[in-house]
Amino acid sequence: MIWEVFRQEKAGEYHTHCGNVHAPDREMAKQFAAVQHGRRKPTNSLWVVPQEEVGEIDGEDVAFGGTTDKSYRWATAYNTTGADAREVVESEDEQATAEKQRGDD
Amino acid sequence: MAAAPDEFSGPDDLEERERTALETLCKRLADDEFVLAERYTEWQVRAPTLESDLALANNAQDELGHARLWYDVLGDLGFGERELVYERDPDDFRHSTLVERPFEDGNWADPVLRSYLYDVAEELRLEALADSSYPKIADRVEKIRSEESYHREHAQNWLERLADDEESRERLQATLDELFPHALTLFEPCAPPRDANEASGDKPRAVDPGIEADIVDLGLRTATLEELGEEWLSIVVPYLESLDLAVPIDGDDGFEVTAAALPDERGRDGTHTDAWAELYDEFTRTYRELGRDEPTTIMDAPE
Amino acid sequence: MNIDTVKERAGPREFSPADELPREYREAATRMIEFHANSEIMGAYLERPFIRQAPSIDRKLAFSAKVQDEIGHGQLLYRAAESLGVKTREEMLDDLANGDGKFLNCFHYPMESWVETPMIAFFVDGAAMRRQATLRRTSWEPYAHAMDKVCFEEGFHVKHGEDILKELMSGSKKEQQMTQEAFEEWWPRIIQFFGPTDDKSTHHDFAASVGLKQQSNDDLRNAFLDQYIPKARKYGLEIPDEPRIRERDDGTYAVEEDDLNWDEFFTIAKNEFEPGLGQINGRKTAQEAVDWVRETIENDASAAGGHAPQAAD
Repeated sequence: MIWEVFRQEKAGEYHTHCGNVHAPDREMAKQFAAVQHGRRKPTNSLWVVPQEEVGEIDGEDVAFGGTTDKSYRWATAYNTTGADAREVVESEDEQATAEKQRGDD
Repeated sequence: MAAAPDEFSGPDDLEERERTALETLCKRLADDEFVLAERYTEWQVRAPTLESDLALANNAQDELGHARLWYDVLGDLGFGERELVYERDPDDFRHSTLVERPFEDGNWADPVLRSYLYDVAEELRLEALADSSYPKIADRVEKIRSEESYHREHAQNWLERLADDEESRERLQATLDELFPHALTLFEPCAPPRDANEASGDKPRAVDPGIEADIVDLGLRTATLEELGEEWLSIVVPYLESLDLAVPIDGDDGFEVTAAALPDERGRDGTHTDAWAELYDEFTRTYRELGRDEPTTIMDAPE
Repeated sequence: MNIDTVKERAGPREFSPADELPREYREAATRMIEFHANSEIMGAYLERPFIRQAPSIDRKLAFSAKVQDEIGHGQLLYRAAESLGVKTREEMLDDLANGDGKFLNCFHYPMESWVETPMIAFFVDGAAMRRQATLRRTSWEPYAHAMDKVCFEEGFHVKHGEDILKELMSGSKKEQQMTQEAFEEWWPRIIQFFGPTDDKSTHHDFAASVGLKQQSNDDLRNAFLDQYIPKARKYGLEIPDEPRIRERDDGTYAVEEDDLNWDEFFTIAKNEFEPGLGQINGRKTAQEAVDWVRETIENDASAAGGHAPQAAD
């Protein structure tokens, strides 16, 4: 049985996929993952998930975020006056980055 | 005879007949999408779960985006959003009555079924527009199409889930009985558009089959309404029957849309159910109350 | 982990579902996140009529997207609350429907006209965003993660709200006047968004001591006034005479709290304010109308036993 492994480097961070292990059950999957994926890179926590329980939908199945103009849902579409609150500026910057990454595909 | 597709290259020098055909085609496309989206948004904050709320809102926005693209084509004829939506005579809208029907509170079977019936028709219609002689139409098909497949799959997933449960299937059946005649109006011919300076009358204008013939003769769309209707029936009837639903259409007619199966109000001909007047009144309310004379744009005009 | 250890360790994103946390922490966190989640839902409920009433297709799209985002935020937040193991999402949504769930004061008021939309979409969302930005450092990791995504999206809401305000205030005299009137009506409620001054706040001390809450009501209200009074003025809105707001020498603001209607505020806090009750019940009716769909889904899910996730260990 194959288990997908997700690693969190430090408390508070996100668990991100880092690989998988063969193991007969969850307990052994955790033990194997701890060594295979946690022995060198900084690790605070690992998740193991049976691969068969993972569903996938990809860019061929669906046009993520759509194909027609959705700029109305981005902060960058709006021109306002005066200095914005710090968190609004941060959000707009993050959105501009995400928008740009989408465009780079 | 009709202009060869390659001659239909742009908005300039369109003959009257061409203008009318283009206007009629785009209005049926855009009005369907706009009014359907308007109805879908009623499910926002009312869908069965938070996740399904998000998904239907997505579809509503997609359809609105499509309406925006089709209305924009009519910019070539000098129409803007003001004339086409916010200051348009409600009797001049040409959407099918399928999309204007209000939702009964909590009847989730309706948006799911309506979406299925509509999205299958839309796929066929888009296919018949992919090689349109009007480049701006052909160019927009692909963008719209790639969003539509999600809508149809979403509807089918729900239909199959609901049909699997006896009580829910009964709801589906009751809803199908109501919606189906209205869905057939998707393939009905339109009455000609009203002139800008023509006053709204009590009587709807007569349907003009000549305009529908022009749409195909001019190559704006490459399939007739009859062909689209028959193909649609050949897809939706077997599918719905496979879910143990009885389709309210006379089997002896084969796959054909007959007058007997149609409802009194057909939308395309300018006749609408009472719900339309109410809906129109609501969505133009702010615009009227604030005395606006131009709908606000946020996005750039479509390319 | 006992409560003293929690207080000692309390830092940004310190605790996750892997930690064994005392009931006191889990309950306080649930109460706080549930309130936040409920507020997203009730805010969306209040704004939804304006998807239809928006005066253009683009505005309609933006409003639909905004309401959609708020429901999405509710989804994230209920999950963050659920992960504390105190209440399920269904229980929280049922409580909200039954009038037992609490949510922001501003969403208890009716909203009838388009000119009111920026009061929520710009000022209330702006205020909420001030608070949410600080909550990215909350001690409950799933809550902080939810805040990452909420803050990422929320900038659009505030900018869109501001754009509507800008349009109204540069529109006809009538529009400007109507907007000013709406502002006068909403301004005291918006100030009350941050609740009473700290010494009257019941839950603050504990929530702050275990790192759930990152900034006091007073600090947040100051930060809000500091940013949004100039914005309001910039668009030509006149700040109402009441509540009296005095700028201190250090640049912070003192709000004359006696100018605010705290009876109404606390009536609202108990879910006993008439218009708010109407909104709670309206949403309840909508929720109940689709009970049958949820039942159908749940029957299916339990019938598909083979795919049921394994019990957590």
